[in-house]
Amino acid sequence: MLVPEFVPAIFASWYIPVIYAGILVAFIGLIGIAIEKRDIHILILTDIVGLAMLIVVAAVGTDLAEALILPGLVVELAEIMAISEILISREMRKSDKSTSLFPLPLVLDMEIMKTAPNFLALVLLAFGAFLTGFTGGAVAGAGILLYIISRKSRGLPIAVIEGIGGISGIAWCIWIIGFVLLFIAPELWLLSLFMAACGLVLKVSSKLGLIGTMMREEFKRE
Amino acid sequence: MDLASLGGELLGTIPLGDIVLYLTPFHLFMFVVVLIFTFLIAISRTETQIEGSFGTLKDHKVSVGLEEFKARRFLAIICGLATAGAMITGDLFNFTLFIALIGIVNVGIVSAVKQVDVLDAAYQYGIIAMICSLPLFGGAAIVLASTGTLSLFEIASMASATPMMIFGAILLMIGVAGETGIAPFFATKAEMFRTPGSPFILIIHLSSLFVIIRAIEILLILVKVI
Repeated sequence: MLVPEFVPAIFASWYIPVIYAGILVAFIGLIGIAIEKRDIHILILTDIVGLAMLIVVAAVGTDLAEALILPGLVVELAEIMAISEILISREMRKSDKSTSLFPLPLVLDMEIMKTAPNFLALVLLAFGAFLTGFTGGAVAGAGILLYIISRKSRGLPIAVIEGIGGISGIAWCIWIIGFVLLFIAPELWLLSLFMAACGLVLKVSSKLGLIGTMMREEFKRE
Repeated sequence: MDLASLGGELLGTIPLGDIVLYLTPFHLFMFVVVLIFTFLIAISRTETQIEGSFGTLKDHKVSVGLEEFKARRFLAIICGLATAGAMITGDLFNFTLFIALIGIVNVGIVSAVKQVDVLDAAYQYGIIAMICSLPLFGGAAIVLASTGTLSLFEIASMASATPMMIFGAILLMIGVAGETGIAPFFATKAEMFRTPGSPFILIIHLSSLFVIIRAIEILLILVKVI
């Protein structure tokens, strides 16, 4: 038996039911694909089969299998993005006109955009800076996005930050240096941990902010 | 089946922690051939098709723009490198990842073409590739669960194959067939070839030819029937 003794027997006995569950989920997804006629719906339903793949990989439940889930997820995302790109380019060829990247109505009639968006954005930024790392970056970036969208929906001008991509690049370098330092000089682990965490918070938040900038450019074009 | 009878005399191993690469003349030959083809594709230019039309004497020139040419050449080189990686790797999961990369890049190579039929075919191929990532990665995961390792070198030294390993190997083969678009799924791929830009389109075909040979070697290592 390959399973070590310290693993409870109930975990090992779950493997076969989980494999069955994964295959069942995939089968349900395939039935959906067979019934559905619209291309975009087929694409979305295909993702269910991808999730079933993650279930089958996760069923193994070892460290190695955990390391395999992430590439599997990335491959799945990359494939869905590539196919959606194909769909978009095909529809553009059919209709013979290019469409906006983010066709969202400009007027967002929501209370959250009028009452205290600046305060909320500030809280999100502060909380993101406190969290650091990937999660913190996402929270802080959501704050930047909220700020930009709220300013835009009230029709106010936005302070344009040029070169926000540059910040992202530098933050990426800080992250990599911190990561390499962790291997070269393990005694500096605290410094390298903070370098990596702060680099990542800057990187992710500036990336989300970049989405905001791009959206604003799209709005300006209309 | 042992490694020596599959790929010739074992030249040596490169232990990289858990991942042990093993080199045989077979792998080295395939690796170098794919790299040579990739180099030839990297330095070549695209073809221009002349399409005749019915009813008139006019003909219609289909050429590839510079921007599209650059994107397509880049993706073709990535596809060649992924194929070369799939030839030399000694780790089952890296093999599946290289194949998934080939599948994505194949869709990418034709993503910018102007013909709607070709885009339709690429969409169908992409859907099949996505669905087949379930047997591909699932098969590798089942092999991992039943053997406790992903290293082909270690799997080759095992005495016999359990039924679960054979099941995993069959799933893996289904996955490879879907991702590279061979036998049951070839129709969409043939349709994708109808676009101009020949040397870059050909890597789609070439990669699947090489991958099949390697996949069969891996299948023989896993199944051990002979």
